[in-house]
Amino acid sequence: MKRPLLILIIALLAGSALFASSYLVSRRVCEACGAQSTDNLEWLQQEFHLADADMARMHQLHDAYMPKCAAMCEQIAAKKMELDSALSGATNLTAGAKEKLTDLAMLRSQCQAQMLEHFIEVSRAMPPAQGQRYLSEMERLTLGAHEATEQTMSAHDHTGHVHGGN
Amino acid sequence: MKPENPNSDAALGALLRKARSTPSLPPRFQEGVWRRIEESEITAASPAVGWLEALTAWAVRPRFALAVAVMLICAGSLTGIRVGNQARQQDAQSRYLASVAPNSLR
Repeated sequence: MKRPLLILIIALLAGSALFASSYLVSRRVCEACGAQSTDNLEWLQQEFHLADADMARMHQLHDAYMPKCAAMCEQIAAKKMELDSALSGATNLTAGAKEKLTDLAMLRSQCQAQMLEHFIEVSRAMPPAQGQRYLSEMERLTLGAHEATEQTMSAHDHTGHVHGGN
Repeated sequence: MKPENPNSDAALGALLRKARSTPSLPPRFQEGVWRRIEESEITAASPAVGWLEALTAWAVRPRFALAVAVMLICAGSLTGIRVGNQARQQDAQSRYLASVAPNSLR
């Protein structure tokens, strides 16, 4: 009774070890292949199956967008620093701090609008079906994150206050 | 030739029986015999044990073991490749997203 059971257990363990080791090795190799790439636009080619000509256009659009994005990021960072200094040591929200908050929100929405314009431009440079998919995916990944947070807040709200209720 | 003497044959027989050595049994022989009988009865009575033995005998056949090993390596590699590709895709997506959308806007 004991010997066959022991043999079966050893066989099962050996099989599991074989499966796990081949899984880990192939996964590591696969991940290492991807880690070598430094192209930030690689995902576009992988996900939307773009041709080289399309990718050249993507690189152009991306390169044109980056300085605008960097400038906006600098403005946001500067405004955040201003807000931080206005809030540091304060025990109440001053009019100056409120103004900085409004400015920051404005800058963020401008940045968001600029980002969406870039996404739309990129989507137009793709084949129509892929462009549509890209746009909805980017909206989900960028704007959708806020919606998810708001929905989480609504779900955990115990005060009866509901965001976005009808 | 001497006539046969039945009395002497009987005496000889008795003498031979006496002379035959009876080897001493190993220690706890009887206990061992009973244990084996009990084990064989249990094995015969339990279908699970027979099934287990049959399965083990089937599993340790070299051809079957080799086929299973190859299958496990293939399945493990394919799963690893699939998961690795997903992770790579996810990484590439994160890199693209980080380059076009600042964290503060996500």
